[in-house]
Amino acid sequence: MPPPPARSLPVAAVEAVGAYTLLRLRDDGADPGVPGQFFMLRAEPAPAAAYLPRAVSAAWAGDGELAFLLDVRGEGTRALARARSVAVLGPVGHGFLTVPGDAILVGGGIGAAILPWLRRRLAPHGRVQTVLGFRTPAHAVCAGLVDPDATVAIEPTLVTEPLARLLPARATVYACGPDRMLQAVAALCAEHDVPCQLAMEAAMACGFGACYGCAVRIDGVWKRLCVEGPVVEAARVLA
Amino acid sequence: MSSPDLRTELCGVALANPLVNGSGTLDALTAGTLGLGAFVTKTVTLHPREGNPPPRIAETPAGMVNSIGLANPGLKAFCAEHLPRLGELGVPVIASVGGWSPSEYATAVARLGADPAVAAIELNVSCPNVESGCISIGTDPHETRALVERCRAETDLPVLVKLSPSVADVAAIATAAAEGGAHGLVLINTVRGIAIDRERLRPLLGGGGGGLSGPAVKPVALHAVYHAWAATGLPIIGMGGVASAQDCIEFLAAGASLVGIGTSLFADPHLPERILPELGDLLARHGARGIGELVGVAHPRVSSSTRA
Repeated sequence: MPPPPARSLPVAAVEAVGAYTLLRLRDDGADPGVPGQFFMLRAEPAPAAAYLPRAVSAAWAGDGELAFLLDVRGEGTRALARARSVAVLGPVGHGFLTVPGDAILVGGGIGAAILPWLRRRLAPHGRVQTVLGFRTPAHAVCAGLVDPDATVAIEPTLVTEPLARLLPARATVYACGPDRMLQAVAALCAEHDVPCQLAMEAAMACGFGACYGCAVRIDGVWKRLCVEGPVVEAARVLA
Repeated sequence: MSSPDLRTELCGVALANPLVNGSGTLDALTAGTLGLGAFVTKTVTLHPREGNPPPRIAETPAGMVNSIGLANPGLKAFCAEHLPRLGELGVPVIASVGGWSPSEYATAVARLGADPAVAAIELNVSCPNVESGCISIGTDPHETRALVERCRAETDLPVLVKLSPSVADVAAIATAAAEGGAHGLVLINTVRGIAIDRERLRPLLGGGGGGLSGPAVKPVALHAVYHAWAATGLPIIGMGGVASAQDCIEFLAAGASLVGIGTSLFADPHLPERILPELGDLLARHGARGIGELVGVAHPRVSSSTRA
């Protein structure tokens, strides 16, 4: 499939959410895809120091808005947080498969950013419980965007502690966060025989299968995360 | 005056326009051909390669450093699963070949050169992300000449040689490739580089070092194309930091007959569609009716006999 056309979307608002930054774009009504898919974002004009786009999954989409929660750390994210318009390519990749029934959402750090939209999608189909882990209370402020009733763990407590208390469960686990957290979540779910989907992250130059930069161990070999994922069944990563 | 003609040819292969992708910067089976005049495959090796451990890419000012490590399915699977579909793309396919010995190259060239889906062969003798083989051949004029001779004997298709700028004298390597019988040259491959992790103060990429690409390398690439063309007069696919129609014109002037786009495709896969109409306008502004009229115009006028 040819990559979707790049759209230029105006920035409606940029808001601090604790340590993170919420970038709200005015949407042009194009199909936003499903939670867990991602978009390649580039500030317009792009600074020379950050030539490549950033791969980011939406915090939510709909009602004329496409929103992203950013961890502003370098030139690329800084430029996005200052932009008046953003070049948006996507959605691309495979998102979460929403399974009817109860759900447990697990987020670690900026991985929580993609869960608000997923929770809205899942809520009509069953009970949704949320466990989130953060480095500091300032990072945890965004928990309110995901689920006002979320259980929040702050380091040194890890998110796997509250998750372990919810298992076993007749539910699907949906997780997004750093690699080591995802590995631990996948192992816990395997132990309790609970189905689990992981939204993974990898450094990515293109987002459409061209650069081979986003290699992740899937099915026991290095595969392109942008083509296979970014949402992958946990069993394929543990293999 | 009618608008300039973007149709062109390379070593007898007709192209609808002079733009191609750099090897390893586009998977046409995933993303299509993006309006390019020809498609260059990711480098194929005799045996499958998983590639280097991640991280494989790091952004740097106006570019990136990569260490992919020639990940590819190997000659057999490539020919069985990829080539038949690549043959249906509707543009000429240039098969890029790598290896660890002349006989590995020769085996792949013989197989690919016999496939109707392939229009030309690119010998990658310049990958910076493997420890021997490819990279060392392209730094030595004698090995380069011998390899090209060997591969020429395996196929009737045009044989292009992809060179590295990370050598003392790129013109000497280009000359060796020409003496070995190369029909054309491709330059540049990435410039050897390294990125240091700002927190750990260790090499950032899983493979250690890597190859620099993107707008940062454009002057290096123009220099290599300029001197390779001056030394050999061979048709050249020029690439390195191309991000605009103006960049394309500069590569033509330096001596390129076709222009490759790589890293900028990552940033914007729709770039070729935007460049092509602008390229027509720029050709017209320089009074050229076709691509060929601007090839090498940056060079002092010399008689063709001194370049032969």
